[in-house]
Amino acid sequence: MKRGRLRALFRKELLEVVRNRAALLPVALIALIALVLPFIVAVAVPAMTGQRLGDDRDFVRVSVAATAQLDLSPDARVQYFLFQQCLMLFLLIPITGAMSFAAHAIVGEKQARTLEPLLATPVTTTELLVAKVLGALAPTLAVSAAGVLLYFAGLVALAEPGVTRAMLTLRTWLLLGFIGPAAALVSLQIALVVSSRVNDARTAQQFGVLIIIPLTVVLVAQFTGALWLSVAMLALAGGALVVAWILLTMVSVALFDRESILTRWR
Amino acid sequence: MIAAAALTRVFGRRAVVEDVTLEVARSEIVALLGPNGAGKTTTMRMLAGLIAPTSGRVSIDGVTLTRGTGTALRARIGFLTESPGLWDRLTVTENLRVYADIYALPHPERVVAHALERFALGDRATTRTAELSKGMRQKVALARALLHDPDILLLDEPTSGLDPEIARSVRHLLEERRSAGCAILVSTHNLDEAERLADRVAVLHGRLLAVDRPGALRQRLRTGRLIVRVAGDASPWLSIACRFDPHATADSGALTLSLSQPERDTPPLVRALVLAGADVIEAYAEVPALEDAYLQLIGDRAAGAAR
Repeated sequence: MKRGRLRALFRKELLEVVRNRAALLPVALIALIALVLPFIVAVAVPAMTGQRLGDDRDFVRVSVAATAQLDLSPDARVQYFLFQQCLMLFLLIPITGAMSFAAHAIVGEKQARTLEPLLATPVTTTELLVAKVLGALAPTLAVSAAGVLLYFAGLVALAEPGVTRAMLTLRTWLLLGFIGPAAALVSLQIALVVSSRVNDARTAQQFGVLIIIPLTVVLVAQFTGALWLSVAMLALAGGALVVAWILLTMVSVALFDRESILTRWR
Repeated sequence: MIAAAALTRVFGRRAVVEDVTLEVARSEIVALLGPNGAGKTTTMRMLAGLIAPTSGRVSIDGVTLTRGTGTALRARIGFLTESPGLWDRLTVTENLRVYADIYALPHPERVVAHALERFALGDRATTRTAELSKGMRQKVALARALLHDPDILLLDEPTSGLDPEIARSVRHLLEERRSAGCAILVSTHNLDEAERLADRVAVLHGRLLAVDRPGALRQRLRTGRLIVRVAGDASPWLSIACRFDPHATADSGALTLSLSQPERDTPPLVRALVLAGADVIEAYAEVPALEDAYLQLIGDRAAGAAR
């Protein structure tokens, strides 16, 4: 793999993504929801109704597992629980966005017939696919990171005392800095594998979106208090996702059939 | 420089290209002619290392194009695909820059600037390619294929969609590349262009039907007709012509005859006309157009296939 070629392709992917407003829209929408929703639930609604979060028996019950070790007021405990759970929504940003870009990555190039001149250059399949994955991942991670920064700025400004500090843990960073990108990589790679074998972007997206199913299960289990992912569990899950990504990359390189892409596409 | 040896490609049960042997030498332009579906694009793709032949081989300077050698050999080829294949959201400069970086060209900005100047694309440098006309897109694609000064150029319909002025400048450019030592294979439907540009013409219809100089190809198709141009009206001399060919015709200033042995019959015919008082301007054997030779080759192949 030549770095110069990879850099050239990566830059090209990035330019295409940044200029594709239609594909950027879902990313922006999810970022907005992930940013606004928790503040509505944990700050705005209690303030408007006058009902304290610490008085809600259900909230208190489900937040026990997550807050047992923390020295926080009852309101802050529930807020911490809600903000921590909603952080999971930020995982969906790189997954949704990257998948939307990746699904277009091969199918879009096939349809625009831009792959043939590219394949006639010394570019290798691995360089092409890695550039596509990174080119789709980078902008969504950037949106996600910007969203997280705003999220924490909002916490500093609006959350109960002690909540922000309690949130800044290894668990949070693992979730955002490791699980999120790793899940996005897996999702992307699935979309790419499918994208190089099918002839429309929607099919690729439908397969890529499968990664959201286990994430949603985890999200729901956490919300109901049935499951609380520890640091060790998160690290393990992240490691498994990275291994899955490497395997999927090998599969996608093996399945990327230059000939059928050129000869069966009209 | 680039050679195809017994190249065959089968898709399913259909052989699209069969047993094609062809070589394009340094400083040579070969035009690949053939009707739609004749296998021109498939041949080009095999030569560019994009698809593998079912049998036979492609070699560049004696090195066989394989998966292992493909990456290095492809760097020596400039390939203009059937469709321009530009990234629509990128500008003209950005499209070219990606390729300059892929080929690891030193001073890529300068290379791109030179390409823009060479193809008179300077005023469109920052235009997104989606906004360009078909002809302009073709020019950008051509600039891209030539960006790394390849030794070998494989051009699929290079002047398709270009206005006559630009098409002519493209032809000049290809002549310039030929002078620089480039081996050029041009697939085209434009017989006039093939005749003007190519050193040799290869007629493909699944199989290679002929490879020769355009003039030699035309000569192969002899009509056997002799044209004698005379000053003034030719009809007074028709009776003399009819002695050599009873079906001779007179058409304003020319007599047209079919001679079974033109070498033997032309001198006495001219002599007879001059003796009778005709002012003979010229007498020449009718040479068919390349188009006629091409159509006959294709027609023969179709008739052979039908049998």
